[in-house]
Amino acid sequence: MSVIEAINIHKVYNPDSDVPVHALRGIDLKIDEGEFTAIVGPSGSGKTTLLNIIGGLDRPSEGKIIIDNQDISTFKDNELIDFRQKNIGFVFQSYNLIPVLTARENIEFVMLLQKRTEQEREARVMELVTAVGLEDKIHKRPNQLSGGQQQRVAVARALASKPKFILADEPTANLDSASTTQLLDIMHQLNREEKITFIFSTHDQRVIDRAERVITIDDGKVVNDEIQN
Amino acid sequence: MLLKIAWRNIWRSKTRSIIVILSIAFGIWSVAFLLSFSNGMVNSYIERSINNELAHIQIHHPKFMDEPELGYHLGDVQDLMDQISKDSTIKSYARRTLVYGMISTAKGAQGIKISGISPEMESQVTSINNAMATGEYLSESGKNPVIIGQKLAKKLGAKERSKVVLTFQDIDGNITAGAFRVKGIFETYNALFDEGNVFVRRKDLNALLNDPVISHEIALKIHDLHQLDHVKSAMKNAAPNLSVQKYSEISPEVELYESQISIASIIIIGIVMLALIFGIINTMLMAVLERYKELGILMAIGMNKVKVFFMIVIETILLALIGAPIGIFIGWLSVRGFSETGINLSSFSEGLRAYGISELIYPELSTMLVGYLAIGIGITAILASVYPAMKAIRLDPVSAIRKL
Repeated sequence: MSVIEAINIHKVYNPDSDVPVHALRGIDLKIDEGEFTAIVGPSGSGKTTLLNIIGGLDRPSEGKIIIDNQDISTFKDNELIDFRQKNIGFVFQSYNLIPVLTARENIEFVMLLQKRTEQEREARVMELVTAVGLEDKIHKRPNQLSGGQQQRVAVARALASKPKFILADEPTANLDSASTTQLLDIMHQLNREEKITFIFSTHDQRVIDRAERVITIDDGKVVNDEIQN
Repeated sequence: MLLKIAWRNIWRSKTRSIIVILSIAFGIWSVAFLLSFSNGMVNSYIERSINNELAHIQIHHPKFMDEPELGYHLGDVQDLMDQISKDSTIKSYARRTLVYGMISTAKGAQGIKISGISPEMESQVTSINNAMATGEYLSESGKNPVIIGQKLAKKLGAKERSKVVLTFQDIDGNITAGAFRVKGIFETYNALFDEGNVFVRRKDLNALLNDPVISHEIALKIHDLHQLDHVKSAMKNAAPNLSVQKYSEISPEVELYESQISIASIIIIGIVMLALIFGIINTMLMAVLERYKELGILMAIGMNKVKVFFMIVIETILLALIGAPIGIFIGWLSVRGFSETGINLSSFSEGLRAYGISELIYPELSTMLVGYLAIGIGITAILASVYPAMKAIRLDPVSAIRKL
């Protein structure tokens, strides 16, 4: 069953200028529940733009994004914020944790926005820090953690609200090899155990090798879409 | 959570936050001190007016204040005097005979107000007896004693024991005069008062007026100023045909000064707060622009615009909540420091005396002023936070996240 359906997505930056930039040129895509998918392609091919549009951070110039039978491209700003909070987890290239909050508070943050009870939050935080192996770091602030540890907190944060899917934009770009392997192991395990759909944009061969499906984009179009064993 | 993030955010740039907090504290301190000073100045004037002449309440013939003629006297007020003497809210009272006339010596003459007083009773109400520069206050002994102001004495070349002549109309409209001997010379901090007033015994003045019971004014002092309106209406009930007025109604400048203090407080608070608004906006705008990416992340992961808006507003209010009590406390400390010694303005004494203001000013920080300041800084913080908060919620999460 499709979790996300992108229909004829176009994105043009500066459409009224002399040099409009066509970032996406008619993308059609279906992502099913529980997929572990990598979107790959050279720099400037439109990977991040596609991810932002799927995640409701940006709007397509043309086309529809259907999630749960709703076209989110027609949502108003505040509706999109609510939608993201309830349905999507984000992992960014440069971690982007809230610097004034501890690891635990960062993970808890979205659940607080969702007004979950203290017991629910406590249970979920402990479950996630155990899953990402950071039980002893929960009271540290981001600047007291290594890059790999910060990215693991970011993954735990993205998972905290039990979203339908996680969008990860180049999540391993700033990590060393050991941290990358550890992060991918964690994400893969969560994908299998919690049936959470993961969609990555990446150039990292280590991520591509672990992906079950690889969608290649070039010049704003899907040029290849293959299932890997 | 919003409060926690806001609190931690303001300490991310300690130096900047401390500078803003100190600006707020300094602004509040300056307003508190300045207004306490002018409060002290006006109160000094009001207090002196009350203590020299006005008392708290005065009772007259209804027409006397507009046309202070001898004929507009109080009439038979024995019953009223009995009631006043029994009223426990009234601290002291004095009955006066008032005549406008002329004082003359060999050196010159001057138009004056002659107050016929009962020395003992008057000393309970006003404090002329404590303002004697030379000589003595009036007493029951001696023939026709008079006390005059220092400035008038200089002008007329009169000294203690000098003989002066008081000339005025009697009750029948005939010009009458009496020779008086200067028993003492008083000096208040009001040059106009010292130049235009003399005091004699009421019985001496009444004898010259050919009417032993005539009087024009009853002045009352009460124990508790909060009872002022209550006592006024009690007096009005007791003497429905007479005019009963509070000190602020009798002396328009006292009322003017009192209302002026309130207006000046609001204007000065307004000006200082306006300056603070721009300082706070500048700081908060910097804080928002610096955290552009982070705010984008918060919105990306689901923090709605209302919460982002309030987070910035709360940060600003927290800065004000820290700065304001510091400012008020320093203001209170500096006012307290001067409230016993006073601020000495003797180098401006001549000018101040012309306006009836003491050269020693005791600043007073009123609860009302602290209230105005608290409200003012609250409004300032909210107003100053609106623009940066609007700026924060207008940002586009995608471009904010991409920002390095």
